[in-house]
Amino acid sequence: MKTDDARIRWVESPKLGMLGKSYLTLFIKGLTTTLGHLFFHKKVTLESPEQRHKVLDPVNYRGVHRLNKDEQGRVKCVACFLCATACPAHCIDIVAEPSPWPDREKYPKVFNIDELRCIFCGMCEQACPVEAIELTSFYDLTGASREEMIFDKEKLLSVFDQTKEREPMPSKRANDAAQDRLKTCPTSGDSS
Amino acid sequence: MPKITIDGREIELPDGQRMNVIEAAKLSGVEIPHYCYHPGLPVVGSCRMCLIETGNCDAKTGEIKMQPKLVPGCTVPATDGLVIVTANEKVRQARAMVEEDLLLRHPVDCPICDKAGECTLQDYYFKYGQASRRTDVMPFTSRKRDLGDVNLFIDRCVLCSRCVRFCAEVSGTAELMIANRGAHEEIDVVPDFPLHNELSGNVVDLCPVGALADKDFLYQQRVWFMRRHRSVCTDCSVGCSIWVEENQDQIYRLKPRENPHVNKWWICNQGRYGYHHVHDANRLAVPRVRKDGKTVDLSWNGLPEELKSKLFTAGHLGGVFSPFISVEEAYLLAKLLRSIDPQAVLAMGPMPRVGEDQKFPGGFVITAEKVPNRRGIEEILGYFMHKVLSFEDFLQEMQRIEFGGVWVSGGYKGPWIEDSAARRFEKIPLLIVQDLFPSSLSERATYQLPAAAFSEREGSYMNRDDRLQTANMAVRPPWGVRAEGSLFWQMLGRKGLYNSRTVLDDLSREVLYFAPAAGPLPDTGLDMKINKLAEVGALTAKTA
Amino acid sequence: MLPIVLVALIKVGLVIGGLMTAAAYLVLGERWIAAWIQDRKGPNRVGIPLTKIRLFGLGQPLADGVKFLFKAEYTPAHVDKGLYFFAPMTIFITAIAVFAVIPFGSFLPSDIFPASWGVHEPINLVIAPGVDVGMIFVFAMGSIAVYGVVLGGWASNSKYSFLGGLRSSAQLIGYELPLGLGILGVVLSSGSLRLDAIMEHQAQTGAWNAFVQPLGMIVFCVASFAEASRLPFDLPEAEQELIGGYHTEYFGIKLMMYLVGEYLHMVAAAFLIVMLFFGGWHFWGLTGSGNIVTWGEAILRIVVLNVKVLGMVFFFMVARWSWARFRYDQLMSLAWLVMLPMGMVNLAYVAIWEEYGGDWARSAGFSPQIAMTLCGWAVFSVTWYVATKMSPSQGDNRPRRQSRESNIRPGFEAEK
Repeated sequence: MKTDDARIRWVESPKLGMLGKSYLTLFIKGLTTTLGHLFFHKKVTLESPEQRHKVLDPVNYRGVHRLNKDEQGRVKCVACFLCATACPAHCIDIVAEPSPWPDREKYPKVFNIDELRCIFCGMCEQACPVEAIELTSFYDLTGASREEMIFDKEKLLSVFDQTKEREPMPSKRANDAAQDRLKTCPTSGDSS
Repeated sequence: MPKITIDGREIELPDGQRMNVIEAAKLSGVEIPHYCYHPGLPVVGSCRMCLIETGNCDAKTGEIKMQPKLVPGCTVPATDGLVIVTANEKVRQARAMVEEDLLLRHPVDCPICDKAGECTLQDYYFKYGQASRRTDVMPFTSRKRDLGDVNLFIDRCVLCSRCVRFCAEVSGTAELMIANRGAHEEIDVVPDFPLHNELSGNVVDLCPVGALADKDFLYQQRVWFMRRHRSVCTDCSVGCSIWVEENQDQIYRLKPRENPHVNKWWICNQGRYGYHHVHDANRLAVPRVRKDGKTVDLSWNGLPEELKSKLFTAGHLGGVFSPFISVEEAYLLAKLLRSIDPQAVLAMGPMPRVGEDQKFPGGFVITAEKVPNRRGIEEILGYFMHKVLSFEDFLQEMQRIEFGGVWVSGGYKGPWIEDSAARRFEKIPLLIVQDLFPSSLSERATYQLPAAAFSEREGSYMNRDDRLQTANMAVRPPWGVRAEGSLFWQMLGRKGLYNSRTVLDDLSREVLYFAPAAGPLPDTGLDMKINKLAEVGALTAKTA
Repeated sequence: MLPIVLVALIKVGLVIGGLMTAAAYLVLGERWIAAWIQDRKGPNRVGIPLTKIRLFGLGQPLADGVKFLFKAEYTPAHVDKGLYFFAPMTIFITAIAVFAVIPFGSFLPSDIFPASWGVHEPINLVIAPGVDVGMIFVFAMGSIAVYGVVLGGWASNSKYSFLGGLRSSAQLIGYELPLGLGILGVVLSSGSLRLDAIMEHQAQTGAWNAFVQPLGMIVFCVASFAEASRLPFDLPEAEQELIGGYHTEYFGIKLMMYLVGEYLHMVAAAFLIVMLFFGGWHFWGLTGSGNIVTWGEAILRIVVLNVKVLGMVFFFMVARWSWARFRYDQLMSLAWLVMLPMGMVNLAYVAIWEEYGGDWARSAGFSPQIAMTLCGWAVFSVTWYVATKMSPSQGDNRPRRQSRESNIRPGFEAEK
């Protein structure tokens, strides 16, 4: 695009009056702003280990990953690598294997997430076709070494055990909602 | 020159070639989707995906008469005056209907299907299919059957019958068949006669969907993660063109690369699965030196200079050239040894042979000579020695001549030297052995150097028909291993990084035989027999 | 002789120890103020090590210092080794040396010593009392600091450092002129280059120079902000926008020397502003004047001086968050086109007043101080107005668009 393109609209900076040019307004505005904040504003700092962030919606929060389990306690993941494909940080490492169960063809032998590489974008959760990987509301994960921060399958499954009550899987949520609707629906209650 | 019209565009086809409309359209850049048609197999016209509208143009009047019904493109020969239409609503609807039909009972388990990403059903459905399914006629099933060499996922099959035709026509074994009739048709084998032949791996490549799955590759890696590199199979002297597919320096599979002069579209199972030695844990991984009966690990730091100074003081030199190293590397090694000792004796390594040459009905050949580059080494040795010494000749020479130092390049995929032969190298004061795996010879070596596997080096091989093909580096050598080429390059004091193309240019300038290799080599290789013909011509001219 | 040496050594120890501690705690204070202005809490964790006592974060400077000391001491391979070590020392040493002539109080009564020691004069609270060229010494040291900047940029042997060094030295040298002009007015009116004499003069007349020479005060303040490389004139570093400047290649203890040196520049600037323009230790009705003091007056003077200095430092810190950084060309045109002429006007005004004004006011029956104050503010207003009207520092150095009107018109018309 050239500078004489008709589609360009030139925006001029506002013209300063005498007061502005004399730096007086600038001087006063700047000082009132800073001094106002210095003396009259409430502090917003949250003192972290003692005070905790309130996660407003744990279901939507993008924290540490978990690997969901099905009703029989098996890993839901079918090792399709779609999360690894979607991952922009290349932090998911999967080794697949024919599954030992008759109703499933493929399952992950190894499922590692490098939580240090992860950028918590949630694309893995979106890519997953079987709602196996989800992001929980755990936000302050720490570790003493880089190796410790590579979460393996067992660790990710244990995150599920810790969070399944508070943050149920989407399918379970939908199911529960449908149940609730049935319970509260007056016509169905009357007719039965 | 036959002229045909495709979608209103007139194109001229090359003379004297018989081709159908699919091939002709491909020449002009128009894709006609197809499942059952394959250029290497007989045409059946069963999938109906390539339906197009055809007609004829009267050469005199210029009037075009279209046929009322759609015809499958694979069965229509491209003849002069043919008019085809691939881009109208009728054809589009026909394709969409075929796609809908194929997907009626397809399990759509793409997430766990190994074909996903290179599946024509996926591609065509996105291109030609409908936005959504109109019906669910029955619950999906996902049945799996072990056919022998490969797995069959029955419900993914689109019944193109490519695999059946391949087994009947190319491998000539005809294990596969289509069982049942109508909507119950499925691929099967006769009980107790599983799919088991030397070329069975090709049916997996042929399968346009994920129905036939390679047992070796099953669930190993998704195809979109892998990068493919042009390479040459080193398992026999045919030298099939292959793709090496790897991800992060791990080879996951080899696939045939189309080369009409060598292997057409196929490779044998031995070549297809013959990459596992690359990731073998037993490979030599560090250079070692034997001092006072003990072997000590070395680093590559300063080692090339040390080897060179040792060679300079060793006295009379000998070299054993493995037929597994490339032409360039053989040339550099010969240069190196000859620059140190102009009288160095250079000889060929042992030549493993297994069984007899096998020829298949489709024309595919597997030779008994299990080395990729005998002809290339022969030409190099012939240039430097004016005769080609075989390994047995070299053992004879060792009795006659007192060698101060011998450089043995190995790189064989399996055990290659007998104890009795290895023992005869014992008395050599400086024995440098470069090999993939520990052997009775490498145990006796003064310097034991790890060698690169075929996928870790770049260079050219000359097959039994004097066709020179270049293989690119696909994966990096493991830590501690240096490819022969770069080692020789450094020992010769050349600047920069090893570049096989530069070496081949030098070679083509120096050695008359390799003169045609001066320019860029085509992907399908360069036939060096032209050279021979010229020589023969010169001889006959002289005698006449 | 011995008591004098002893007194001098004690003063040196007090000043250096006090300055180092003050610099450390001023950094903490600056971090607090920065945090509070941004509605944060600031460092409040570090207390006594190995305990849970936090002390509002008062241990932070110690932790910072220890961290700097224990950073990997490493010299980049490409630097000029000698100059690389020498440059931070230059800036650090000169920054401390300035305080040799800067008083940190007024006088202490002579009865601090036993009478038998024979000391009968009050003790002057400055390391080198009676240096008649005090202001010139301050200037000399300040100018040597520029060498620290240039040498640091050069010795680092990196483009970023080099450009940063050039940028900084142009700024520092450019603002030394208005700085000097600002001082000249004060020196003219008080007739001495000694800082204690200048303070004494203000105390005697009761009119601080800020009131009678507002123009000089403004020029001097702006110039000393720029000399101390503080926002809105911190182009030497400008860490948010430019690569770190001349100390890009420095770290650890050497970087600390640079940073402490710059901090001491700020403290010295605060001292100078207070002493030259805000009466130093003087406060009406509290501190008296003259060099014969009681203990009460002596302590009051120290307190008043240091409160004023801390107030000035506070202003330095608040100013950092109040105004946006000047663009570099605006910075330079402000120095050469605004501050330099203003300083000259101030100098001329003070010179004329000293020659004729005082006599005239007395003969006309006015208090000379009030008359000079009124006159000074009149001169200030007129000069400021003229500067605003001409506004040379508001220049637009962006590339000019040719025939701007013809460019804008078609665009608007096309849209309609």
